[in-house]
Amino acid sequence: MTTLGTGPVVGAGIDRVDAPLKVTGAARYPNDFSLPGMVHAALVGSTVAAGRIRDIDVSRAEAAPGVLTVVTHLDAPPLERGPMTLLGGSPPAPLQDDRILHHGQHIAVVVAETAEQARYAARLVRVDYETADAVLDVDDPRAEIVDDPWGLDTRKGDVAAGFARADVVVEGTYTTPDNTNNPLGLMTTLASWQGDALTVHDSTQWPHNVRTTLATVFKVPESGIRVLAPFVGGGFGAGLRVWPHVVLTVLAARLVRRPVKLVLTRPQMFSSVGHRPNSVQRIRIGATRDGDLVAIEHHGMSSVAMEDDDYEPVSFGSAVAYACPNVLTEDKQARLNIPCPGSMRAPAEGQGNFALESAVDDVAHALGMDPLEFRLRNYAEEHPLQNLPWSSKALRECYVRGAERFGWSRRTPGIGSMRDGRWLVGYGLAGVSYPFYQVPCQARASVRRDGSAYVRSAATDIGTGTYTVMTQLAAGLLGLDVDRVRFDLGDSDMPYAPQAGGSGLTGALANAVHAACRRLVREFLDVVADDPDSPLRGAALDDVTVAGGRVHLTGDAGRGESFAAVLARHGLEELSADGRSTPPVSEELGMAVAGAFGAKFVEVRVDPALGLLRVARVVSAIDGGRILNEKTAASQIVGGTVGGISQALFEETVTDRGTGRIANATFGDYLMPVNADVPDMEVLFVGGPDRATAVGTKGVGEIGLVGLAAAIGNAVHHATGRRLRSLPFTVDRLMF
Amino acid sequence: MHPFAYARATDAARAVAEVAADPHAAFLAGGTTQLDLMKDGVLRPERLLDITRLPLGGITHTDTAVRVGALTTMEELAADPVVRARLPFVREALLLGASTQLRNMATIGGNLLQRARCRYFRDPTVPACNKRGPGSGCAAVDGFHRMHAVLGTSDHCIAPHPSDLAVPLAALDAVVHVQGTDGPRSVPLTRFYLPPDDTPHVENVLRHGELITAVEVPLLPATARSHYLKVRDRVSYEFALVSAGAALVLEDGLIREGRVALGGVGTLPWRAWSAEEVLRGSRPTTEVFRSAAEAALEGARPLPGTAFKVDLARRTLVRTLETVAGARS
Repeated sequence: MTTLGTGPVVGAGIDRVDAPLKVTGAARYPNDFSLPGMVHAALVGSTVAAGRIRDIDVSRAEAAPGVLTVVTHLDAPPLERGPMTLLGGSPPAPLQDDRILHHGQHIAVVVAETAEQARYAARLVRVDYETADAVLDVDDPRAEIVDDPWGLDTRKGDVAAGFARADVVVEGTYTTPDNTNNPLGLMTTLASWQGDALTVHDSTQWPHNVRTTLATVFKVPESGIRVLAPFVGGGFGAGLRVWPHVVLTVLAARLVRRPVKLVLTRPQMFSSVGHRPNSVQRIRIGATRDGDLVAIEHHGMSSVAMEDDDYEPVSFGSAVAYACPNVLTEDKQARLNIPCPGSMRAPAEGQGNFALESAVDDVAHALGMDPLEFRLRNYAEEHPLQNLPWSSKALRECYVRGAERFGWSRRTPGIGSMRDGRWLVGYGLAGVSYPFYQVPCQARASVRRDGSAYVRSAATDIGTGTYTVMTQLAAGLLGLDVDRVRFDLGDSDMPYAPQAGGSGLTGALANAVHAACRRLVREFLDVVADDPDSPLRGAALDDVTVAGGRVHLTGDAGRGESFAAVLARHGLEELSADGRSTPPVSEELGMAVAGAFGAKFVEVRVDPALGLLRVARVVSAIDGGRILNEKTAASQIVGGTVGGISQALFEETVTDRGTGRIANATFGDYLMPVNADVPDMEVLFVGGPDRATAVGTKGVGEIGLVGLAAAIGNAVHHATGRRLRSLPFTVDRLMF
Repeated sequence: MHPFAYARATDAARAVAEVAADPHAAFLAGGTTQLDLMKDGVLRPERLLDITRLPLGGITHTDTAVRVGALTTMEELAADPVVRARLPFVREALLLGASTQLRNMATIGGNLLQRARCRYFRDPTVPACNKRGPGSGCAAVDGFHRMHAVLGTSDHCIAPHPSDLAVPLAALDAVVHVQGTDGPRSVPLTRFYLPPDDTPHVENVLRHGELITAVEVPLLPATARSHYLKVRDRVSYEFALVSAGAALVLEDGLIREGRVALGGVGTLPWRAWSAEEVLRGSRPTTEVFRSAAEAALEGARPLPGTAFKVDLARRTLVRTLETVAGARS
């Protein structure tokens, strides 16, 4: 494997390269684009959760000022459902029949000259429903149950035998509510047809998926479709799929033969672009009195839509978290009349870790062991299912160094033994891991005659720092200053990139950029292979070093020349090279390909009389493999931590019984933290480059969120002796 | 949004006459609640009369009261030195409400008239709401009502009054000055709001077209102490689950005068008269405060989602009274 010679620029915590654009308002998000002749769409949502449309009257809407058309299932053309993707199937195509599968389902699209006219007219559509009894609860006996939806159920050893020899057994039922992703940027689509060619600006995390899906749905060639997303106002998973509103915007543009823009409203964001599904989890853990885990059993039940898929293996993390000889994990999904869930930052682990790490803490407490010591004692030195060494795992370092930084040794073990005036103080921790999606990716790198580099791939930067870290990486690989490198993304005409999701983009893209840049240097060496004027004549890639815009023989900085000199002498405008990365395979490597690991340490304050809970500080120790930029990576962890606090203390999407309407679909009613709720957060990175890939990064997009709920719950237990098994931890659940 | 006409009022009497004459007209002040409700299709005035240029701002002081012009903003009132010195719980209530941006827009008159935060009221796709459509029913009773009221409710409406400011103002016996087509009149705040009963769409005694011009807030004796405590789901920028405003005048180790009101639990700012009776003449002990809290919550009608509020309100009031009593120098 090639070692990564990148110089000091890779890893440095430089400011974001796109920061000036963002702070000056020059960065253009989907909603910032307008086209000549553009008109606006608004959606009509179902107000029942199940049944069929008996009649839909659009006459008043059609007659309203500025309205061009109103499309319903009665006049929509047949549309193909989108293709399978590596995240599962595509959502059902909209407006294909009169059936209602969930409240808020798009049942008409209104197109008008202005957005205000479209929204006004959308309120004038009158619908007569034949309402059916909606299935809304996972425990509704009428709900169809999907067993082992992803083939990930695990049976290792003999769980019954394990519990039989356990000295301590704890068990509990944990519940987590629906959460809604809610990126700040309202999802926007702007579609414009020119014949069979189509240009789409979209709030997507995956432009190529939009292109492929729209080609399938509208039966037009992929080559004519261009999807643009240079800036996206956040995602948290909401932009991973091609949701029905995207299809409807493109359809509307085709019907009115003008560019059409649709911006979802905030309430529509709750029912149109996925959400974290609720879960009911039963977990049981057994250990010997010496503190050895002997059995883990974890059952997860989640909700899913009637005719859609969601990848959410809630319990699977419990199969690989600890060295435990007997493990059973099992997941089920209940089909409900709900908007389809979808990945929300740290899907599955975000829910499953809450149950596992709460129960593990209970075991330690029952044994009278320090929770940190108990976790270290049951540390999984190798992958518990593959029985292979990890490609990297610095979780032990996370625990040890995180504990030092946090001051874990100051924790006194007794319940309620730490106080600050009226406040009870608690310390809690959780161990976490997050696997990352291993996906193929491509990139192209060029050096131009002025010696500057241009590198691109059809990825997105949803606020994570992709622009910045890839610029740094390419600069390091080409020996250029950062300001001599431009990295571009967000355009489906660029080389293929996977989704910005599953913590997988940075790893996949970094290795593609690495391959492209290495090949580009080789291209330069090829050009001068027989060039008598080149000091690099005959040099091989392994013989050279790049630095200061030059390529020189390793160990002899005087023997070399600049990219610009080579191009000028050979009359070339630029040289380009493509690179690709393929997912590493554990069996081939003889190593279990590892995701990120981490340890979260939390201090809380509880006022039990008034049910007040304050998170006082958080220390996150993270093994993310090679860190490409200390600052953006730390920002990812800080943002994830806020998301984790939000999951633990605030977020709950509530569905009305009977109607299936989301009861709190506004920012006034769906709470998330404000600054005053967010404490000091410290992040430290431990470990080093992962051995499975050339660049050695492991994604850090999601690991920051995982474990906060458990660590906070464990801290509350330490402070009060109460074990909270339902999220979020609100006042009414905390009054003791 | 429903189309509407907009005009700027230049004269209060004429503005009152214009709105009174047109059932589809409404005043517009800070707009921090009203415009939201219009965008959501809950309010659909056809004509808005912007009163923000009328000379209804300004705070004046006498020896016994603060007179607050209706167009005074929340931030302006919170910054008033007399309020700061003599009515600390009014200031606390103001600054614990909304956000700085909103407090710089929202007016005191508008604050008293803000509408229920009930999500069933605020979503016109929900058929059952007696506030929006009299007689249509109440979806909140069987719905998600964790934020809702336990005092003063009826089978027809359980929406809590959202104002923080109105809580200490109710405790202080503030007086609302109103101008109508027949001239001015004054209404004590404790008689300004109407319980929902079977007419939850009628929220106060104002007639259509009547305009709040000022609020007069009596001062407490100089020896009085007060505190406003707000318990909510996050630290800032959120409505109260429960709040309590209390003022005590202590003399010779006894409570000479106690003023108590609750927020977040009542369909109107809830003056706890019976708690005040318990306090009057008693010693300021936790036991007495608990008795007062018991009395304050008598008659509470919790629903499954609001059951916790009864006890939380008692505890909040006890803590508030303890804080006030403990603040004695």
